[in-house]
Amino acid sequence: MTAAPAGAPPLLAVESVDVTLGRGWRANQVLSGVDLDVWPGEIVGLVGETGSGKTTLARTVVGLVTPRQGRILLDGLPISALRRRARRAERRGGHVQLVFQDPLRSLDPDLTVAEIVAEGLTIRGEADRGQIRRRVTAALDRVGLDATVLERTPGQISGGQRQRVSIARALAVEPQLLICDEPVSALDASSRNYVLRLLDELRTSLGLAIVIISHDLSSLAGIADRIVVLYRGRIVEDGPVERVFATPRHPYTALLMASGPSIGHDRPFSPQQLRRAEPNSPGPAQLAGPGACVFAARCPFAGEVCATQPALTTIGERWSVACHRSDQWEALAQSATHQEGPAHAR
Amino acid sequence: MAIDNRNPLPDLAARGRPAGGADEVLRLDDLHVSVHDGAATAVRGVSLVVRAGEIVGLVGESGSGKTLTCRAALGVLPAGCAVERGSVSFAGLDVTSLSRRDWERLHGDHLGAVFQDPASYLNPVLTVGGQLTEVLRVKLGLGRRAAHRRAVDLFEAVGLRQPGRVFHQIPAELSGGMLQRVMIAIAISCGPQLLVADEPTTALDVTIQAEVLELLQRLRDERGLAVLFVSHDLAVITELCDRIVVFYAGEIVESGSAEEITRRPRHPYTQALLRVASVGDFRRRELEVIAGQPPRVGEDITGCRFAARCPVAVPQCWAGPVRSVPVGDEHQVRCVHALRAVVTS
Repeated sequence: MTAAPAGAPPLLAVESVDVTLGRGWRANQVLSGVDLDVWPGEIVGLVGETGSGKTTLARTVVGLVTPRQGRILLDGLPISALRRRARRAERRGGHVQLVFQDPLRSLDPDLTVAEIVAEGLTIRGEADRGQIRRRVTAALDRVGLDATVLERTPGQISGGQRQRVSIARALAVEPQLLICDEPVSALDASSRNYVLRLLDELRTSLGLAIVIISHDLSSLAGIADRIVVLYRGRIVEDGPVERVFATPRHPYTALLMASGPSIGHDRPFSPQQLRRAEPNSPGPAQLAGPGACVFAARCPFAGEVCATQPALTTIGERWSVACHRSDQWEALAQSATHQEGPAHAR
Repeated sequence: MAIDNRNPLPDLAARGRPAGGADEVLRLDDLHVSVHDGAATAVRGVSLVVRAGEIVGLVGESGSGKTLTCRAALGVLPAGCAVERGSVSFAGLDVTSLSRRDWERLHGDHLGAVFQDPASYLNPVLTVGGQLTEVLRVKLGLGRRAAHRRAVDLFEAVGLRQPGRVFHQIPAELSGGMLQRVMIAIAISCGPQLLVADEPTTALDVTIQAEVLELLQRLRDERGLAVLFVSHDLAVITELCDRIVVFYAGEIVESGSAEEITRRPRHPYTQALLRVASVGDFRRRELEVIAGQPPRVGEDITGCRFAARCPVAVPQCWAGPVRSVPVGDEHQVRCVHALRAVVTS
């Protein structure tokens, strides 16, 4: 594990970013006040459910979405403020690369693997064919693919190999930051572990910063250094992976962990203990109000204090949580269990 | 009631308990399924039984034949695929060579199905309530108002909040988890004995997945529904199922109770699957991989199909076909090492 040197500036700094998609009555605030720092050589796991804004955050970082407020700095350079030519030059530089979920859809089916991996280099303006060829082979070698795949198309290789090709494509332009949007959710368990191990090895050998968006928390436990939990466009918990997974401080993080399927049944809480017992019942009116905590409507531990959105508060070393009752809900969950008996179905 | 003599299907519900053993709902016997118009065999000699009130999970890598097996059980094999050998029996009745019309009679009344992508099985411009009442009116002959009432009850039974409101919504207005509940409501609307669920939670968030799995367990407990559940995720399968059937390259390599399979796996492939699965503990661990690739679909291999990737393979593995042997109560393994252990003990 590579701990960031104290005081060193982060490679990526997302500073209180708000993103609104659509305009007029269609406008929908997707991200609210998101702060995120990523240091070189660090793997950050970004988790949350559909619609929580994970993908929008990734798209904002690479410049496909413009934040309404806040800014994004890469190596100290405010890339979100760049316009026109400067932005185009920055993007072609390839400092930040995206890897998508489904390589069958994100890779051009008519191009060969060699052409796909070389594309970023050609766009950047590299002309020397021999040089491009060498870089392509080197990138494929890094992901454990040999020259036999060079002339195949994405349809002719397996799913795990395809995802490795899209990582090789990203690596060819020597990025500093890799953002992987659900890189393994289309793969079976063995290929998934192969790709995750590969990412882990790349951050050590190349000093890459990697953000992995995933809904599978337990596979992140294998490689991530930090876990960032998004709920409805807000970061609700951000901390070191061992600490967060040992004692989650936000009830939503705990619910995500309890909901993941497991082979051993040794969890502190069952999902039922962390859900609202009667989801139909509207809580106190102020919990549904616009200023209320984003999670209050689903939180079984919400009280009157939750009528206002809690700020992300530091509770430990590089560990912060946005919950008014972060040190009370566990006791509440346990006492509810004593009244109702064990809630777990099995 | 007038007897429809064009109907060659005996009334399954009226037959009572079938002869094939207590509560037996589905039985596959030595099932072989060919693909590419008979050019290759993708499912080789699969035999399994699903009983009432039991959830049986099929697990394996993509291309292992688990989906083809359950499609054969539903009588909806894709074009170019056919049952080559073996039989499918439903509640004691051989349905292997049923005509399309007769299969349609079986669907809904006796068999329900849900798949991975619920949105693609619903009409995007009709309300979900309308699509459920259509089934109820055609299959059960209910009147408009009775069908509406039944539909709202069903939506409530599958845990949809505000069922009366959901009734009037179109698929695009509902989330993936809600759509999957609608599909389950449609699948169980005519009181089937068996529900076939092919990767129904793969596209859902973990929190929603946990809720759908709880729903299936509740339906099993309350209605005695038998469920054949397919997933590539062993963790999901162990969380949900009573019995687990492990597929590798078109064959069943191991089957047994969920407890036996997870605690005492005997086949090297099952053991490997357990090592690579997301075990659900949140400690840092080594991420293991299974070396090598599975054989191509239809590839002819003498002996064990896993031998080339197996860490404990011996020459005997390639010598000839490996039989499946019982190694415990309802626990079967297709491995020469298991065979040897049985012989010596």
